[in-house]
Amino acid sequence: MAKTYEEINEKIRSKRAVVYTAEEIIDIVKKKGIEKAAEEVDVVTTGTFGAMCSSGAFLNFGHATPPIRMTDIRLNDVPVDGGLAAVDTFVGATSLTEDPAKGYGGAHVIEDLVAGKSIHLHAWGPGTDCYVRKDIDTHITLDDINEAYLYNPRNCYQNYGIATNTSGRTIYTYMGKLLPRMKNATYSSAGQLSPLLNDPHLETIGMGTHIFLAGGEGYVTWQGTQYKTNVEEVNGVPIGGCRTLALIGDMKQMNAKYLRGLDITGYGISLAIGVGIPIPILNKDILQRCCISDDQIFAQLTDYSLPTGRKEMARYSYAELRSGSIEYEGKKIRTSSLSSYSGARAVAGELKSWIEDGDFELNKPVLQFPKTAKLKTLTEDWL
Amino acid sequence: MEKKFKITYNESNVLGSVPYVLVKEFDLTPNILKANIAGDGSGTMIVSVVGKEDVIDRAMERVKEIGYVVCPMENHIHKDDKKCWSCGACVSVCPTNSISVDDDFHVIVNYSSCVACGSCVDACSVKALKLVI
Repeated sequence: MAKTYEEINEKIRSKRAVVYTAEEIIDIVKKKGIEKAAEEVDVVTTGTFGAMCSSGAFLNFGHATPPIRMTDIRLNDVPVDGGLAAVDTFVGATSLTEDPAKGYGGAHVIEDLVAGKSIHLHAWGPGTDCYVRKDIDTHITLDDINEAYLYNPRNCYQNYGIATNTSGRTIYTYMGKLLPRMKNATYSSAGQLSPLLNDPHLETIGMGTHIFLAGGEGYVTWQGTQYKTNVEEVNGVPIGGCRTLALIGDMKQMNAKYLRGLDITGYGISLAIGVGIPIPILNKDILQRCCISDDQIFAQLTDYSLPTGRKEMARYSYAELRSGSIEYEGKKIRTSSLSSYSGARAVAGELKSWIEDGDFELNKPVLQFPKTAKLKTLTEDWL
Repeated sequence: MEKKFKITYNESNVLGSVPYVLVKEFDLTPNILKANIAGDGSGTMIVSVVGKEDVIDRAMERVKEIGYVVCPMENHIHKDDKKCWSCGACVSVCPTNSISVDDDFHVIVNYSSCVACGSCVDACSVKALKLVI
């Protein structure tokens, strides 16, 4: 029997909604069977807590007296964008201080703001007839400023590759530290808990979907950058990076526990964000797709010592990856996750309790994302 | 049991052999995990010693008598649990499998099997791991 969003929300409002995480639902459906479970269960919550470089924050500082039109702006010595209106800025997560050895960047500014810390703001402007001030040197906190929105042009990558290194030297990548001669391999998806692996064709997730973003409420705003659909599927889910989402949320509601500035050795700065997406169980097909487990989700092993043209060397399930080691041509390779599975569990669990407590309703997307999309590449001008 | 020590030497005793003393006089099993000698003859070694606790203690008193500085190593790898977000990046770079994840997928360190190589330190994105030698 099919349900509607309104029927589910009515149950949420009266605190009667039956909610499970994407991990718990696997056994529930095994026990009860799909038909019975689809009738009983209203929502499945997903979660992920990993690095996403395509992150940032829009801030509005408020005006000083006399006011300034800021064009060169530093927050804790991190250069942030001066290309918006007078006292608006965008803090890009990967922006770095002039001294990269500090290992501090835009992502840390965002974490520190949410943690309630005082941030040094130093800004300069040209001085105009309407904005006469030419510089300001002050401190701000999240409470002092008008708006602060976390914005992800891209997040929630639907699956991702496994990285290894066949070369003779240690390499430091955004996929972590990779030891020589394939001594280790790293992967980043939350697998069976990951939002877009539980709704692989975005039947319920679209523009306007209400989500958990770093401990606060957020929304899906658009398809994410580098969104594509033309990736091989196994068991109904893609085996590599595929669909993505753009997200927004109010930083004033967030918890620094789910927002961590990262300094990835040899690569640079990134931001780890806890994201949770609820999936309404409108029918049994949607529930069936939420039952996918780590042994049914696969990813491709590739060689990160190659600058380009990284071909699939082998494929492994997340159950194998999470066991601690995989085997390649008779050789054991130790594995590391790069996203926090315990964090992903905490996100899915917290979102579940919000819904059970009647504090969080679901909404129907106002726009579905493209059913087909391919990536373009960048080519150089002919020299 | 197994204990680890940092032993510091200088120009006067750099050519002496601590492992020889441990094997010959005390029947212990020493394993040098790391050693260095600077141009002036000074340096340190990290040695793991296997044997009975009281014998290890007496042996180390003897090593001190013959002029070495002996410092027992405990918690030489320090994990700051407030900083660690249990991503797991450090797990696969540890050569002695001393870092793993528990049933709840939290990263845990087995201090006794850590050989203080430091491989995990620069694999950590939040500076939660520190080698204290």
